[in-house]
Amino acid sequence: MLSGGRANAVHAHTNMAEPMELLCWGGDWDLPSVHTDSLIVLAYAKFSGAKLAVKSIDWTWRTITASVPQLHWEGSTVTEPAQILNFLRKQRFNADYELTAKQGADTMAYIALLEEKLRPALLHTFWVDAENYVNLTRPWFTSHSPFPLNFFVPGRQASLALSRILLTKAESPLLNITEVEGKIYSEAKECLNLLSHRLGNFHFFFGDTPTSLDAFVFGHIAPLIKAPLPSGQLQKHLNQLENLCQFCNTILKNYFTDAAAEKRMDCSLTATHDPVDANLQKLTQLVNKESNLIEKMDDNLRSSPQHRPHRHETKPSALASERNSPLLSKH
Amino acid sequence: MSLAAEAFVSQIAAAEPWPENATLYQPLKEDQILLSDSASSLAVQTFLRMCGLPVLVSCRANAEYMSPSGKVPFIHVGNQVVSELGPIVQFTKAKGHSLSDGLDDVQRAEMKAYMELVNNMLLTAELYIQWCDDHTATEISRPRYSSPYSWPLNHILAYQKQWEVRRKMNAIGWSGKSLEQVYEDVSQCCQALSQRLGTQPYFFSKQPTELDALVFGHLFTILTTQLTNDELAEKVKSYTNLLSFCHRIEQTYFKEHERESQSGSSRHSKGSLP
Repeated sequence: MLSGGRANAVHAHTNMAEPMELLCWGGDWDLPSVHTDSLIVLAYAKFSGAKLAVKSIDWTWRTITASVPQLHWEGSTVTEPAQILNFLRKQRFNADYELTAKQGADTMAYIALLEEKLRPALLHTFWVDAENYVNLTRPWFTSHSPFPLNFFVPGRQASLALSRILLTKAESPLLNITEVEGKIYSEAKECLNLLSHRLGNFHFFFGDTPTSLDAFVFGHIAPLIKAPLPSGQLQKHLNQLENLCQFCNTILKNYFTDAAAEKRMDCSLTATHDPVDANLQKLTQLVNKESNLIEKMDDNLRSSPQHRPHRHETKPSALASERNSPLLSKH
Repeated sequence: MSLAAEAFVSQIAAAEPWPENATLYQPLKEDQILLSDSASSLAVQTFLRMCGLPVLVSCRANAEYMSPSGKVPFIHVGNQVVSELGPIVQFTKAKGHSLSDGLDDVQRAEMKAYMELVNNMLLTAELYIQWCDDHTATEISRPRYSSPYSWPLNHILAYQKQWEVRRKMNAIGWSGKSLEQVYEDVSQCCQALSQRLGTQPYFFSKQPTELDALVFGHLFTILTTQLTNDELAEKVKSYTNLLSFCHRIEQTYFKEHERESQSGSSRHSKGSLP
């Protein structure tokens, strides 16, 4: 077992025969993936410097056959985020090597807290709440599954989510989902408050470098922040916790913008089927970089303590600036 | 209970002081109670002792059905019935007794996180070993669970309970785990607890909190209960500071009571620690 020395655990093992392949759900709403578990693995891979070949299972039969996320490497397959993280650690991609023993124990405890308190409410928000399910989740998963699976996949996920909530949270008198709702949402809000207290004013949960706990928290709250939910009381509560929103945006900006910008570039390049002038390609890339820089500067200005504009004003302008940059890159 | 009803109940709770005849109900100690229920019951008893609140332990064969939420143990205080450690902690807080008042927000977050860790890992592992491992289920769990009932009810109830627990394990993804993996999880959980405890007397230095009660309940029960093999107890024994933690709490809260009151009503089923 390659437990990896603490000193050199961060440096990526670049002389591997083939890259590791990760199967996960596709991305939307500015996220690399809409699925919590896939996001956890993607975030951890970025933090630890592991190079993963990400294959999205959208529009393939794997939407119903595979349990996502799945990591393939040299014939072995690993599923479940915790197992995948263990596997990556054994391959010397360790983002936790700087943690003390107590911090490692804290990580386990907080992950258990997330699983017990936050996940049922997340499942409910996306899969059981009628308005969200009909208007957002089901159309998204239906449009990202091939025919004829698009009839089965969302329904199956929804019934799995409902049964999980009922079996773990509903005790025998409370067999009705509506009575459990109040309980799971209040527990989830409490959990978010606890996380916010723990994070405080730091960038990440343990100092200045992200660790596996940051990956887990990011995976759980990022879809909640970014998804355009029609009825989202939990989302409203989360938006009030500014440090968690900042945490999520920081990770997206620092670790995932390159991927998002590449995707946008790919889309803009493939849209023009005729052979594109090499100069035009270079110009597009330059414009993309400029717009990214402008976004970063904007964000820095906005987050500086002296000039903190009112919450409602920042939201529309942030959306506006993000809408402008795709328009810029298309030219 | 809806949130409004809970708030109403806690208002009523705050009005009366703790009565002398508060009772805790659990399944029959010698014949019926299983590892996980015994652990939860001991955790509640320890918590109440730490708060200095007197409670009588009463064993009933149908305790599970009497409970408002279907889980044991539950306490009957005045004219209210509250089950499970979480609501009981809130209930005693409404009455003015609390162990975690001295903690700040970050510590409280840590305490809740560690309590969830114990519930998530240790309790689930106990349930898995009892009901999903065929050997243990056949030898120990089913006979014990159904001992107060006659044929054919005992078979029906035992299989029903087993089916329920297996469904739950399926839903949270534990059904694919092997027994070795479960033991490994228990070991990791104990390692995390051991590292958090370090050399301190309690998890949050000087004063015990509900986390200490919960951890003691589970670890003591694991160490003193006879299963088909001793592997679970061995995993816990390998962490010496957890062993001394259990000894210390047993000495402080249970042995003194034994010397004061001559009745053995609150002794644990298999005797004290080796």
